[in-house]
Order: sequence, then structure tokens, then C-alpha cells
Amino acid sequence: MISRVAGNCFWMHRYVERVENTARMLQVNGAFVLDVQLPDAQRWRPFLIVAGEQPRFDELFGAGKAHDGEVVQEYLTWDERCPSSILTALGWARENARTIRETISLEMWESLNEAWLWMKEGSARKLYQRDRHTFYNRVKDICLLFNGICHNTILNAEPFDFMRLGMLLERAGQTGRILDVKYHTFGREQGADETAGEVAQWLALLRSCAAFDPFLKLNRPLSGPEVAGFLILEDAFPRSVMHCLARAAEFLERIDAGSYPAAGGRRALPGLSALIAYVKPLTIGAILERGLHAELTHIIDATAGVCHAIHADYFDPVFDGAVRPAQSQVQSQGEAPA
Amino acid sequence: MSRNGTNGPLFAGYEPLAGVYDEIFDADARPRPDIAGVVRMFDALGKAEFRARQKIADHTFRKGGITFSVYADSQGVEKIFPFDLIPRTISPQDWKHLQAGMTQRVRALNMFLCDAYGDQRILAEGKIPRWLFEQSRGYLPEMRGVKPRFGVYVHVAGIDVIRRPSGELVVLEDNIRTPSGVSYVLANRMVMKRVYPTVFAQARVAPVDEYPMRLREALVATSPVQHAETAAVVLTPGAYNSAYFEHSFLARMMGCELVEGQDLFVHQDTVYVKTTRGPKRVDVIYKRIDDAFLDPEVFRKDSMLGVPGLVRAYAKGNVTLANAIGNGVGDDKAIYPFVPEMIRFYLSEEPILAQVETYICANEADRAYTLKHIDTLVTKSVDESGGYGMVLGPAASKAQLAEQAARIRANPRGYIAQPLVELSTCPTWAGESTAPRRVDYRPFIVTGKSTWVLPGGLTRVALTDGSYVVNSSQGGGSKDTWILEDVAR
Repeated sequence: MISRVAGNCFWMHRYVERVENTARMLQVNGAFVLDVQLPDAQRWRPFLIVAGEQPRFDELFGAGKAHDGEVVQEYLTWDERCPSSILTALGWARENARTIRETISLEMWESLNEAWLWMKEGSARKLYQRDRHTFYNRVKDICLLFNGICHNTILNAEPFDFMRLGMLLERAGQTGRILDVKYHTFGREQGADETAGEVAQWLALLRSCAAFDPFLKLNRPLSGPEVAGFLILEDAFPRSVMHCLARAAEFLERIDAGSYPAAGGRRALPGLSALIAYVKPLTIGAILERGLHAELTHIIDATAGVCHAIHADYFDPVFDGAVRPAQSQVQSQGEAPA
Repeated sequence: MSRNGTNGPLFAGYEPLAGVYDEIFDADARPRPDIAGVVRMFDALGKAEFRARQKIADHTFRKGGITFSVYADSQGVEKIFPFDLIPRTISPQDWKHLQAGMTQRVRALNMFLCDAYGDQRILAEGKIPRWLFEQSRGYLPEMRGVKPRFGVYVHVAGIDVIRRPSGELVVLEDNIRTPSGVSYVLANRMVMKRVYPTVFAQARVAPVDEYPMRLREALVATSPVQHAETAAVVLTPGAYNSAYFEHSFLARMMGCELVEGQDLFVHQDTVYVKTTRGPKRVDVIYKRIDDAFLDPEVFRKDSMLGVPGLVRAYAKGNVTLANAIGNGVGDDKAIYPFVPEMIRFYLSEEPILAQVETYICANEADRAYTLKHIDTLVTKSVDESGGYGMVLGPAASKAQLAEQAARIRANPRGYIAQPLVELSTCPTWAGESTAPRRVDYRPFIVTGKSTWVLPGGLTRVALTDGSYVVNSSQGGGSKDTWILEDVAR
């Protein structure tokens, strides 16, 4: 497939994944802050940090405003100055889709287009004001529908592989970031007692990653280390960092196997394989010993590095003078020009 | 049921304009025989139901993102091309006539372009003044001697046709560079079928769905390589181009990749596209970019949309470009008056379709006449499209006329004038009821090994009361065009 289009497929799915994660986080937190007394600075500011938006928010509104949940939600949901707001990310997903309409299925395009029109034209805003919880449910539904349609209507070939790759790498990063920020905020040490408020925090963290039911099914004790371990290492959980990296590697292997011999080799797959080799043998005990924040930072940065490498390997490749075409040259010289 | 209420027969109270041909109703407001049955069905539907169905149609267009962009608009982004649900019909007899006329005309234009970029016999024999020809901005001397496969320059033509009050169909202008609009033809038809399944089943309308297949066939037929292995792409300026929807739509319907200039490169005079599996050879490019932006090595050096070296590859015969480079001289409005001469010269036939009388401002006498009567004539720029550069004398202000006159004086070769034709009308929904609105018609003609005329086409309608301007960028809309099939088949 065309290199540029592969990039569009990848990014379209990254943006949709981002929308879903943001909606889920904000929705869960909306309920959470009603139950638990947290210092002002810890109620909503962490989400700005997860999105990497704290500096810009402070610049636009002043650092004090991060205590105001309404302002933070407004910013992360609607503000077009925020590159990761739901509206902005959805708009970019749709724009990528529009650019590759002929590659994706009609249903995929229509689902994104309808979602974007809903957000832009006022009925979404009314719902947001009237029933915040349902609004975020609808946003999540948009993403789930989109992914469902993709999985069931796209030919399982290269475009599909790039789409899934984008979704999985974004998801790995999102889980890692939410865990990093929340764990840091709660500030638990290994072995400390759990109070009722802290239990609520772990439950909220699980819910933010759609991990509540899966975690409970595994009958693990509800503690910080268990939750962190689950979110990073549990291969059976579809949103864990490990699961996402491993599935991403499967798609990247397929892509790499079909690709051409590049001068100097490609860097994305080796990078991802190395990261998986690093994470796989880890235990939560070992992670906590080295420092959860340091380990998560390493994993998140390495994942970002893989994304950059994918860009260089596949989306914007340099073809030097040694052109070896992918198909054999069968020029028919027989027909004389008219 | 009250005649003028919110319900009632769809065409209740419809009055054709005096002295103007109406496509559906005759001068006595009776439906024309070919479509009497269809008119009855629409009437029976009623206004309220019609309104409801229009809503469904509008929603389908929005949901599907079937849009175009307008440059002059402050928002500058996507708009739905307004679609009127009352079709415009063409009788079987009119269709036979049009089909023959279009085929003849496209043949002649192809031969003209071959000659224009070859021996230039038509100039040598004085049939077209050489100075007029050479001053055409569409004539690209760099392309002289380059021969496209089978001599096909015009793979896709969109020829605008209007109907005089007498009922005669005449050619208004040719579009043989990057004619657009066929995607609306296909989208409109899809919506019509969804909204009017019963009417459609009864009306016996020629299908239009095979257009993408026919276009693909024509592209492959003119490919430099074996047909089974031909790689054809659609080249677009990108998602911000006003006709982007159409580029994407056609690429999808033909099963071709949609590419931008940056996706392509030329190596050893062969065109390649950058893919995730390495460079892949490209054999045919259906280009929707202006010639001027196509190749910074040859034409505009500042173009970011083109492919350096593309013209080299084309000249070598290693890639087919559809439409060919240099067609602009063929749809130059100052050359248009000579198309009947081309038909006689190359085909030894009389033109089947007449044209609109044209004053070439490059000619002193014509220029003087034009400037004297500028307030009654339609003056047009010779090489623009979309209605830009056009001034309707009777509808323009003194200031607008003065500006246009100044432009003509400054660049006479760049302008022509025509008398205002009383365009035919078609019943169109006008808010509360149906009313006559001016229409034109653009059939699409595809040429590969042979020429095929799409049995349908884009009818554009001037939605504003009293307006003659049908272009999408200037407040026009479209209708589905029904070529009625002969009942006795």
C-alpha cells in the first residue's frame, strides 16, 4: 500500500484510541471525585499530565484552574486548542479517514463522519451539559463501533495491519501513562495498609483502564502492586501494556515480512522486539524495586521510539538510486504508438 | 386539498415561463408525453411526502460526506452540493441525437489535438488562424511531437449542453482537461434509488453504474504495458481540493490507488509510487491536477503538487496520462467556435450538434461589438471553469460591467462573448412548491479504444429565482438526469 496511506491508517486508529481513553478517564473520574476526598490538586490535574497538556493548560488558564473539574473537562473534551481533546482528536481521526476514504470501508467512514457531525453540531454539547455520564458513554460507543466495524469489514491485509498497530501502540502508551500518573498521585509504598479511600482509588484506576471486571475475575487481592502488575504485565488482559506490545509485534512482523529489503535495514521491529524482551520477564516486585515511575517512563519512551521508527521505515521511506521495483517489469513494446 | 397548501399534488400551480422551454411541461403546462407517467407518480406523492423524502436525501449526503469545497466561502470547507429530488428527463429521441453528436465531437477534438501537437495541418490550411491558436494559454509547445497511445488525448470529456426555447439542444462549452461532476451523477442516482424505489422501477431509466468500469477499461486500454498487469492510479492535489470527494470516489469505484504528487517519483524515465513494500511501477495516471502544476521540471517550478520528471516519462511513452497534457487548447473558448470546422476537416461530416454564437474578443470587430453590447451579452474568460471569470450582462451592475470591459481591453485574447440564451427550465423545489429553474446538462464521454457516452450526466440547476448561473461554486445545485429508455424495446 502507499506509504503515506499507511501512515493515515496508523494515525486514524491512534486518534480514535486516544478519544476512547480520554472519555473513559474523564467519566470514571467524574464519579470518583464524588466519593473520595482528595486534595484539590489531585482531583483533576493528573489527567492533564497524562495527556501531556499541563503546561499548555496552565498557560491558557493559569495553574490554579486545574483544580476546577469543569474547566479541565471542558479543555480535555471540547477545546480545539488542545491537541488531545476529544473533539480535536476525533476531528483528526475523521480527517485521516477522509484522506483515505478509498482505503477504508464505507461503514467505517460513515461512523466517523456521523460521530464528528454529532460533536460539531450541538446535540453532543447538549448531552454533555444535561447528562455528562451518558455523553462519555456515547463517545466510547463511537470508538467501539468504529473498531468493531473495522474488525469486521476490512480486508485483513496491510491497511488493517497498520490500523491495528496504531491502535495497540496508542493503547499501550495510554495504559502506561494513566498508571504512572495515578500511582504517583496515590503515592503508595510496597506493603502499606490500604484504607477505604485507597481501595476506591485502585478501583477507579482499574475502571479508567476498563480493567475492573477482568481484574476481579482473576481473584487477586486489591492492592496497588497487584493493580499495577495487572495493568503492565497481564497478557490475558486486552489493555495491558504487555498484551498490547505483544499483539502489536505480531502485526509489525506481518508488515515487515511482506516488505522490501531496505538498505541499512529497518528499525521498528527490532526496537519493538527488544522492548518486549525487556518487559516480559519482569515481575511487579522487580518493577517496584527499581521504581515504578522510572520503569514506566522507560517503557512509554521506548514505545514512542518504536512509533518514530515505524514512520521512518514505512510512512516516509527514502528510496535511493537503487530502485528495485516490487513487481517484475513486463513492458509490452509490441504496440506501436498511434 | 388546497392548491397552494402545504400538501397537495407536487406540481400543483406549476407554470412554465413564457418563451422558455420547460423540460417536463409544455407551454400549456401539460406534461410532455414521454414523462406523463412519471409526472403522475410525483404528483400523487404530494408535497408533504416530497419534503420528507428530501430530508432523507439531505441526510444521506451529509452522512456520506458527499461534499465539495468552496474557495470563496469564509468557512472554506466542505459543503453539500444541493440536490433537488425532481429529476430532469431526456427523451429517447433526444438521447440518440445527443449521443451521436457527442461521439462525433469528441472524435474531432481528439483528432484536432493530435494534429495540434503534430503536423498542425488545420493551421497550415488556414482553417484556424495560427495566431489565435498560438496565443492560447492552453497550447503547450513543450508537448509538440509527444504522441499519446492510440492518439487519445481526451479520455474523459464533459461537454456542456443547453436547450434553446425552440427545443434545440446545442453545445455551450467543452471541458476536456479535468472535467468534474460525474461522482455527483453516481451519488445522486444512488440517493434517488433509495428515496424513490417505486417511481424508479416504473420509469425505465438507463443505469449509470457502469461509468467507473468503463473509465477503468479506457485507462487500461491506453496503458503502455500488458493490460492484465497495468497499474493505474488517480492523482489528486489532495484532500483540500474542491473536487476531492470525486477523486476519492472514482479511485475507490475503479479499484485504483489514490495518490498525491509526493507519493510518486520518476527514476530512469519510469514512474513509481512509494509503497510499504518498496517502489511500485505506475503505468497509467488519471490526473486531476492542472497541467501547470504537473511537473516542476517543465511547467511551474513552484508546484508542490506535481512529480519532477513526469513529462519525461510521458514523452518516452512509459506512462499514460489521462487526460493528456496540453488539452487546454481544445477547450479554449476562443477555439470553440472552430469545432464545427474541425468536424468537417477531420471527419468530412457535418456537425450533428450546433453551438452558441460566439464573439472572439481577440478579433477587433468582435471586440468592438462585445464592448458596445456588454450589458446584454455573456462575457467569459477563455480558460477558466466553474463560472469564474464570467459576467452576465443583463444581471451585472454598472461597476461590474466596467471592470469586465477593462479586463477585456487589457487582455482581448482572454475573452469571448455570447448572447444570453434563454436556458430551458425544469421544475425544482423552491421552498413551498415547485417552480421553474434554469438548467444545463453535462454528459460524460469516455474514450479508450472506442468512445462511450454515459447514459445520464449531471444536470445543474440555478436554484435562485431568476438566476442563469448553475455552477456549484456560485449557488447552483444538481438533479438526477434520467435518460428514458424506449418503451418499445
